[in-house]
Amino acid sequence: MGVDLSVEIFGLTFKNPLVLASGPAGFGFELQQYLDISRIGAITLKTITIMPREGNAPPRLVDTHGGIINSIGLQNPGIKEFVRTIAPRLKDLKTIKIGSIAGFTIEEWKILGEEMDKIKEIRAIELDLSCPNVEGKGMWAKDEELTQEAIKAVRESTDKPIIAKLAPDVTDIVKVAKKAINAGADALSIGNTIEAMRINIETGLPFLKLKTGGLSGPAIKPITLARVFRVAEALKVPIIGIGGVMNWQDALEYAMAGASLIGIGTAIMVDPQAPLEILHGIESFLRQKGIERFKDIIGIAHRGGF
Amino acid sequence: MIEAELIEKKTAKDYGFFKFKLSEKLENPDAGQFVMLKALDEPILAKPFSIYSYKNKNLTLFIKRVGRLTGKIFSSPIGEVFYIRGPYGTPYIETISREKKYILIGGGSGIAPLNFFSELYPELVYKKLYGFKGGYIRELFEEEQSTLVIEEESGKTVVDVLVDVYSEEVGILACGPIPMLKNLPHDSYVSLEAVMGCGIGTCKSCAIKTKEGIKMVCKDGPLFRKGEIQWEWI
Ligand SMILES: Cc1cc2nc3c(=O)[nH]c(=O)nc-3n(C[C@H](O)[C@H](O)[C@H](O)COP(=O)(O)O)c2cc1C
Ligand code: FES
Repeated sequence: MGVDLSVEIFGLTFKNPLVLASGPAGFGFELQQYLDISRIGAITLKTITIMPREGNAPPRLVDTHGGIINSIGLQNPGIKEFVRTIAPRLKDLKTIKIGSIAGFTIEEWKILGEEMDKIKEIRAIELDLSCPNVEGKGMWAKDEELTQEAIKAVRESTDKPIIAKLAPDVTDIVKVAKKAINAGADALSIGNTIEAMRINIETGLPFLKLKTGGLSGPAIKPITLARVFRVAEALKVPIIGIGGVMNWQDALEYAMAGASLIGIGTAIMVDPQAPLEILHGIESFLRQKGIERFKDIIGIAHRGGF
Repeated sequence: MIEAELIEKKTAKDYGFFKFKLSEKLENPDAGQFVMLKALDEPILAKPFSIYSYKNKNLTLFIKRVGRLTGKIFSSPIGEVFYIRGPYGTPYIETISREKKYILIGGGSGIAPLNFFSELYPELVYKKLYGFKGGYIRELFEEEQSTLVIEEESGKTVVDVLVDVYSEEVGILACGPIPMLKNLPHDSYVSLEAVMGCGIGTCKSCAIKTKEGIKMVCKDGPLFRKGEIQWEWI
């Protein structure tokens, strides 16, 4: 019996529910050498800003129990260079490409939306509303009004599906999620890294040059999973569950909590082949349970389980 | 990932040689390249280690104990299994000129890639200078006493010794701590270390700033011209 892993949301058919989360996979080109990206449902490209960004001074990464803390700081070539040199190569990545953008003003969100709208290979646009690693205005998703304004600006600049990437560490994620959908988002990514730090006790100083960074990996999974569950309980809207998916069991938990797609970040850094193992595990699990379609387990935790 | 079974170890305080038997061959590892090595569970990330020596699926690493992963390697019994992927990074030979011979200058665990270089390209080696602080390190290097520069014994660092043997005709190929690299002549080739996540150029963890902008140590390096690096950023 073949298992159908496909997922249809916002007018696109993903061959399977795995998405490479924005950041750890870069623009996909370097990774392609170590992972057959055509076997993955989609890739969300590294976040693009208006101006090129060098990112933060090193060290930008430190590990901690159950996770890693990064302060890359949205290193990217800027939208102009992206359009000129990256966009023309995107057709070489044989999967669905989701563009990712981060504005610092409403005007910037609008321009970024317009530029992404023009790129044929980009099938959906994710708004990184929740990067903890840029000084000042990176954290739109901590404020539901700002979230709404940013989404409205992008909504006006494109007809492509838009995905709002929310922060998991807010007081009431359901409230922010509702605002995001009302403002015109077609889907939600829940969530992103969570502000965290480590101090080097030998020097008495923070490990990271930026002092704090964003925690990802296994440590954040239970936290984000609960947010996915809460939002799925309250709203009928496609959710991309992201945070600490290291193996197929983690991926299934997100699906059962209500995520239609599952993002993988840190696990790709640990082992570029990890997504294939996760895929394989999901497939075997479904086969063993006698479930023919992945779709059928999405949100099963809300429907009384098996 | 490839399974790597620890089959030999020899340590002296916080330095040690560790030999692993791999379950699969590495693809043409060259000097200056590194492998990403991981323990089964904690810590989560794999960490980069330069290749000290490689032959017939036997991989030798020269490791300094610094953090959780290296601590685990030091305390592991023979037979312990780790996981590796690689080799990654640009081989030194693709960056340097073959027209010259080189003084290999290593500091601490920085001697690892230089050793592999001298194994693969002995004809390009002019002299080796391996610097350490304490004399206890001699236990680990029976055959190589003449190349060791022990600061505690002679009061000299490798950079002090370099001044005596340096000539314009030879190049410098160095790997070691940042303060050591900073004291080398402008046109030296220096092999950098960085905190890495992916090791393959995607995650942007291992950035350095150069005259041509941001580069990734894992993919564009680890070897750079000393004069090309914006040291104040590191
Ligand atoms: C090194 C690194 C870089 C990241 N860069 C971005 C980024 O540019 N844009 C973004 O939306 N998220 C970024 N993220 C967050 C990830 O997309 C993801 O939301 C987060 O890491 C949680 O998932 P994980 O636990 O599977 O890693 C980054 C994460 C890491 C570890
Ligand atoms: S370690 Fe990921 S880019 Fe170098």
